[in-house]
Amino acid sequence: MNPGKASGPAVRIENLDKHYGTFHALRKVNLSVGRGERIVVCGPSGSGKSTVIRCINRLEQHDGGRITVLGTELNDDVANIDGIRREVGMVFQHFNLFPHMTVLENCMIAPMIVRKLPRTEAETTARRYLEKVRIPEQAMKFPGQLSGGQQQRVAIARALCMQPQIMLFDEPTSALDPEMISEVLDVMVTLASDGMTMICVTHEMGFARRVADRVVFMDGGEIVEEAPPEEFFTSCRNDRTRQFLSQILGH
Amino acid sequence: MEMVVVAPPAPGKVEDLKRRFFATPLQALLSLMSLAIMAFVVWKLLDWAVFSAVFTTSGGPEACQAAAGACWSVIAARWRIILFGLYPFEEQWRSALACVAVVVMTVLSCIPAFWTGRRIALVWGAGTALYYVLMKGGVLGLSYVGEEAWGGLALTLFIFVTTCLIGFPLAVCLALLRRSELPWISRTTALIIDGVRSLPLISILFTFAIVLPFALPQWLVGDKLYRVILGSALFFSAYQAEIVRGGMQGVPAGQEEAAMALGMSYWQRISRILLPQAMRNALPATINQFVISFKETSLVVIVGFFEILASGNAAYGTGEWRFAYVEVYAFIAFIYFIFVFSLSRYGAFLERRMSVGER
Repeated sequence: MNPGKASGPAVRIENLDKHYGTFHALRKVNLSVGRGERIVVCGPSGSGKSTVIRCINRLEQHDGGRITVLGTELNDDVANIDGIRREVGMVFQHFNLFPHMTVLENCMIAPMIVRKLPRTEAETTARRYLEKVRIPEQAMKFPGQLSGGQQQRVAIARALCMQPQIMLFDEPTSALDPEMISEVLDVMVTLASDGMTMICVTHEMGFARRVADRVVFMDGGEIVEEAPPEEFFTSCRNDRTRQFLSQILGH
Repeated sequence: MEMVVVAPPAPGKVEDLKRRFFATPLQALLSLMSLAIMAFVVWKLLDWAVFSAVFTTSGGPEACQAAAGACWSVIAARWRIILFGLYPFEEQWRSALACVAVVVMTVLSCIPAFWTGRRIALVWGAGTALYYVLMKGGVLGLSYVGEEAWGGLALTLFIFVTTCLIGFPLAVCLALLRRSELPWISRTTALIIDGVRSLPLISILFTFAIVLPFALPQWLVGDKLYRVILGSALFFSAYQAEIVRGGMQGVPAGQEEAAMALGMSYWQRISRILLPQAMRNALPATINQFVISFKETSLVVIVGFFEILASGNAAYGTGEWRFAYVEVYAFIAFIYFIFVFSLSRYGAFLERRMSVGER
């Protein structure tokens, strides 16, 4: 399997279904993300937005429908899952940096043991991406010594070091103090302008307006509305969308 | 406006003592009384152990018994039995070298520079092989000495180290199996762990030493010593597995998710992400378990092995030195103390070293 060589959309989700016990988390979700496209997914908590992107790299297992990532269908085949995870980077709400490794080691470990890159090459790559997220001077520190914003930028660098074709962001700024949100968003904007395919679950509507090609609104496990940002913010058709927007843009 | 902070004058040592122990007349009285009692006990102990004690064997047991203080002559006369047990007298240098080999192996494997798979395997392989060849002989011109003649400190160290070397990896395996997603694996493992933990160590040792030979085919029985080590390793691993599992539960779920999202395989996640953090969490309890296991080696006496405590019994138990058991036990306690205290200090060093990443 060699994801990425095939043409077609980066991610195609068809009739996705997912239950947690008796709770119906996702109901027939359909979403197609083109290469280089930037999608922002928003919605109230419990709407299934995180579940959708966690299904894309199989952190959650779906129980109905099809997910095709870079031309490869996600199923129980472990080789397929590993192959897709190598090409799909993810940034988490709580950073999830490895606390027992330095910043540099955090960025080097996956390229070295998953991509089998030699140490010197992995280090060059790691330093390049730490430069890109603007914290090259923190390379030898441990994650616990950094601020939340710095940790999240390291987490972005760590994901980028695998040179993924798609980046998933799961509420990357929700756990940050307000003054640190912009430094993370700035890095994400730079990434978007480089042409990375991005799927971001976020409530940062300013970010959505600035970089998103499409905004997807979810509620109750369904995609309620899907539109380019201009249209989404000015003339959304659905009542639930309008209510949600008034709640988060209200003040 | 600039703030000027003036630190209060630091109280001197004398003032501090005064404030703590001599604040009121009653407190002063109590302090003085405690001091007197402590001084008395320390003086008595020193007098017994050093000033009035006999250190040479020249006067024989009789002169020694007549002395007011401790009779360390018994150690001078019998240290070889305590350290080497029933090992043939002429060959005891081999037993001493074997002890050194085990200690060096343990010390080397405690040094971070040796913590790569190949180096640690080399150290352990060479260490145990050297011990085995030295003790057993039969090759390289060394005379043959069967396991039944091994004893004393050499045996205690060997049983402890091999118990840990076998028991620790087994414990990690059990802990991983216990958190398996397949219920029949995790439940069976839990049953094994709880089963072993609910049995006393003595009964396990007894079963492995005496009962197992009846149940196993002849070629699988092996020497009693190795069966006893296996039994003790099994016991160790059941407890250690729960310690490791506790350490794993302290690692947030996000760690494994992050490792998965980076494409790491199961074994890569376990060895690079989960276990290093789990072991850090489990360190204090692990050192505790090591200390307990070291002291529990003395239980092998019930299946007929003369480890250091039993050898001590033999050292004073033969007539002429019968009166000097306190000195023998004090000596053995000192040896236990050296090993267990080093273990604890090493644990403290590891905790300091590992806490670097937690700041």
